[in-house]
Amino acid sequence: MKAAIGYAATVLRSMWRHAGGRFPLVVLGLWAAISVVSLFWTPQPLMRTDGYHTWQSPSAEHWLGTDGTGADVFSWLMAGSRTDLLIVILTVLVAAALGLLFVAAMVSRHTALAGASVVVVDALISIPTVLIALVLAVPMGASIAVIVIACGFGYGLNLARVARPQALLAAQSDYVESAVSNGASGAYVFFRHIVPNILPVMLVQLSLSAGTAVLAESGLTYLGVGVPSGTPSWGHSLATTVRFITVYPLTVLWPGLVVTVAVVALNLFGDALRDAIDPVTNPELRRAAGATRMEEDGHGR
Amino acid sequence: MRFVLRRLLLFVVALLAISVAVFAMLRVLPGDVAAVMAGVNSPPERVAQLRAELGLDRPLAVQYLDWCANLLHGDLGASMLTGRSVSEQVGVRASITFPLITLGLLVALVIGIPLGCAATLARGHRARAAYRLVSIVGGAIPALWSGMLLILLFGRGVGLIGVLPSQGFPAAGWGAPVQALTSLVLPALSVGIIVGAGLMRYTRSALGELAASGYIEMAMSCGMTRTQAVRQVGLRLAMPQMVSVVGLTFAEMITGVMVIENLFALPGLGTGLVTDVGNRDLIAVQGELFMLAAFFLLIGLLVDLAHRALDPRLKASIGGNEVSA
Amino acid sequence: MAEQPGAHGRTGATSSPTAPASPTNEASTDASLNARVKTPHRRPWAWIAVAAVAVVAVVIGIIAIVNRPATQQAGRRDTVTIGLKLAPTNLDIRNQSGSALDQILIGNVYEGLVARDENNQVVPALAASWEESADGLTYTFHLNEGMSFSNGDELNADDVVWSIQELVGKQYHDASSLTNFGSITAVDPNTVELRLSAPNSNLLWTLAGRCGLVFDQDAEYDMKTEAIGSGPYLVSEFRANDSITLKANPNYWGEHRAATETVVVRYFTDDNAAVNALASGDVQVLAPISENLAGQFADDPDHYTVQAGDGTDKYVLAFNGAGEHTSDPRIRQAIRYAIDHEELIASRGGADAPLGGPIPSLDPGYEDLTDLYPHDVDKALELMAEAGYGPDNPLTLRLEYSNTYGTDLGDQLRSQLAQIGIDLQVEVVEFSTWLQDVYTNKDYDLSLVDHNESHDFYQWADPEYYYNYDNPEVQSLYAQALAATDDAARDDLLRQAARMVSEDAPADWLFNYRITTAWVNGVEGFPVNLNQTQLPLWNLAYESE
Repeated sequence: MKAAIGYAATVLRSMWRHAGGRFPLVVLGLWAAISVVSLFWTPQPLMRTDGYHTWQSPSAEHWLGTDGTGADVFSWLMAGSRTDLLIVILTVLVAAALGLLFVAAMVSRHTALAGASVVVVDALISIPTVLIALVLAVPMGASIAVIVIACGFGYGLNLARVARPQALLAAQSDYVESAVSNGASGAYVFFRHIVPNILPVMLVQLSLSAGTAVLAESGLTYLGVGVPSGTPSWGHSLATTVRFITVYPLTVLWPGLVVTVAVVALNLFGDALRDAIDPVTNPELRRAAGATRMEEDGHGR
Repeated sequence: MRFVLRRLLLFVVALLAISVAVFAMLRVLPGDVAAVMAGVNSPPERVAQLRAELGLDRPLAVQYLDWCANLLHGDLGASMLTGRSVSEQVGVRASITFPLITLGLLVALVIGIPLGCAATLARGHRARAAYRLVSIVGGAIPALWSGMLLILLFGRGVGLIGVLPSQGFPAAGWGAPVQALTSLVLPALSVGIIVGAGLMRYTRSALGELAASGYIEMAMSCGMTRTQAVRQVGLRLAMPQMVSVVGLTFAEMITGVMVIENLFALPGLGTGLVTDVGNRDLIAVQGELFMLAAFFLLIGLLVDLAHRALDPRLKASIGGNEVSA
Repeated sequence: MAEQPGAHGRTGATSSPTAPASPTNEASTDASLNARVKTPHRRPWAWIAVAAVAVVAVVIGIIAIVNRPATQQAGRRDTVTIGLKLAPTNLDIRNQSGSALDQILIGNVYEGLVARDENNQVVPALAASWEESADGLTYTFHLNEGMSFSNGDELNADDVVWSIQELVGKQYHDASSLTNFGSITAVDPNTVELRLSAPNSNLLWTLAGRCGLVFDQDAEYDMKTEAIGSGPYLVSEFRANDSITLKANPNYWGEHRAATETVVVRYFTDDNAAVNALASGDVQVLAPISENLAGQFADDPDHYTVQAGDGTDKYVLAFNGAGEHTSDPRIRQAIRYAIDHEELIASRGGADAPLGGPIPSLDPGYEDLTDLYPHDVDKALELMAEAGYGPDNPLTLRLEYSNTYGTDLGDQLRSQLAQIGIDLQVEVVEFSTWLQDVYTNKDYDLSLVDHNESHDFYQWADPEYYYNYDNPEVQSLYAQALAATDDAARDDLLRQAARMVSEDAPADWLFNYRITTAWVNGVEGFPVNLNQTQLPLWNLAYESE
């Protein structure tokens, strides 16, 4: 546990050292902080509308102005960050779980399972996530679950396909051979030997997925199958303001900017994380890892 | 060969599964097309009468088998609402969506591949960072937003340099080819920029991997300059991967351009599907989803086959997998 | 292209840390590679530049082509394009519901025995005149002479009789509104006699809608995709959910000959798209235009005219009369007091009219009922407290409505009702889902619909309707109004019934939606009133400056 915390600290420290790592850390930190704050406080009550003061310009009272119902744009963006954060986290979890499941199946020692899963993944991967979302939304209506399931499924498949070559290499390595001959269980081999090998690819892929999930949320919400009415989200802010862009172009600027910045941060985060956890590019990690390994060895393994 | 056969078999099985799934799912939905036709001023008897006329009161199995029987003759049926044959309806919509995607992909290729090459070749910290920023920011812009910004810039009548039409498809369709094409320019640009940024990233990472793997060095040690090696050896080696990416991107774009279609009032495939689902036009939705699914599976199949055909290395590795698995 | 020399390319190559400079490569044994090395080359920069230039050139070329037709001569246009909102999915006016079909087909392609003018009054159409018997049971219609359909077939009393008999026999859409129908017979080729089993003061008005339409009994065509009628226009092309092209009917028989050869009707679901289309000149008329977006045209009176017209659109916030909480009149009344209609109207741009009851100003029996439930939050709080709820102890109610009305109204109602201790759960669903949940199964607390039909008071006299509103007094008053043979008496009875309904608070009428229409100056003859239910276009013309 202590080792894990130390490892995380080392990784974060080396990410912070580069501009490409500092930016996403700052943005994601702010995002998380704002999400928490919005649960307790927003500059204006979230659900308050005011029909006499619609489409206001930014002012001391309404920092980014108001939308078509007179609601405060800044407050909605603040509150929207928590919905988007939730969507991102859930999507990444679903995608990671599904991705690992498919990878495990694809490198399985059961020939039939491995062969079938490769073909199934290859066939399913061409079905677009938007289509899945549209179809899901038919019985489920507009909901966060639609976004999470559709994106999680699509990105999980993608992850599996991207990680497969690495996983295959690891599965055919001598380590695995000897572990298997020593009677190690399939699950042990998978998590001990294969997952660490595909971790860098996974992290980059998942961070890209996280960014895409934010974009998907805005698109699906605009199409009416995403976040339901009355739930704040960036996509909701974008979709409600975009209808009047020719008259009030300023209002639509903010949600678009927020989404772009967040997605940029998520994408950079993956790259920075990959660099930071890769012992080849991160000498600090080598030192730390060396120390840990020695410790482990010291326990007589 | 075994691979191809197995792949084809899967294709057929998947289609069958999809047809059953789509059919079953659509029948358990709340609401039906007869109620939509009858509207809010008709008595319940009228809805029942319409249901009978449309054959919706028959047992589900009969409806499904009926549909399958027609399908075997290549007949997807006629939409319950518009009365037109589903294939004709899909054709009309596809004549907007496919040119839009093709144009968008062209824009994306023109932007993505050269920039991806340049990014691989870029030397110096700043240049690399700049390329990286371009690809990441380009891919991070919501389509809705970029489309809107383009309208604000170039949309005829509303934009700063308002020169391009931003609304709808000419009533004459491709009968007025110039107008039809110009009406697709702005939407294609908004899609192309975003997809282009993605392609740029793929190109760079594919070339980067190749560079790391030694092919490029090998070529250079044979006398090519780095630029030549990247362009001639690298791109060629990266080709199979690029073909898969472009193929899958094309599939993804069919519904991915929906937001853009909506924004630019283009009645394409995605928009049409949403309308039909909303109207509970089951025969139409069934046919459309089936055709789309078949198309996506086909693209997946083609991409796989092309990938294998273009890249001998992959053949070896897949063979290896089949043996070891 | 690759052969072009480029200074940058050379610099790039020589400065490469890994690639040796070109001259040293001559030691290579591979002749072909040697040849390549000697080829001058450049970095992709040039390639990008060429591509960029090419793209820009193409775009500029296209722009030049596009801009050319913009220099059109002034004068009368033979094509006018109009933009509307709700698109018909098919043309089958006998089966498909929805005012989109009435709007575009009635009076343009199909004609009825009688028609409505823009004040919602009945005027002659196929019938030049008519008489009503003193007991109100027999109507005799005298048809115009020499009428024909667009395919050349003659239109006479037989077609009229056949059309109405088909309607009743096959129970086509709206047939149920032809109350007390007895029989219809052709007296001679130009006279039709319609008998009722009991008086129906609504009959003429009903015949001005779908019930009175006359179809060609000899023509065989697919009613979903084609239309053969006797009106001034014929449908030359129909693209479902997208556009309709109308062409002047060369065989037109009457006085309403089309002023413009071709009218293209385009449908925009997206308000922004519609506005851009008007601004860019793709359409010359837009109806409706969102009042919030109309500002840019209203501010430019030199080029555009913007005008709001009267209509019969009633935004009805219905309370389920059999609902667990909404069956309590105190809660229903509290909601009516709590809603600030002025604010709703202001946020929509201010064109709509407040409406206090079920009958709008263009319909018989209208009376201003807005003072029955004025905006009064204190009173609403009192009523809620009596019912056992308040801001500290909120009542949860569910509002379900179709996504065609947008999310704004739900957000505003939630905000307004939160003040009196109602936690409004808003569900915006597809129209078909709404039809199932609310209209058919009556499983709802609150529902919101734009009931745009005219003369639709019967909804309140039908206890089976989705409102679950059952007041025998209202039902009896409506029956008497229907049986009245004198218009003044009818209007008075309807007025009483409407007041009674409004007092019972089975719903709140948010506002009477007034359609705003915008057009390019030079457009003439586009109706402003009621143009979402019937839109006669024969007089439409566009003379550009």
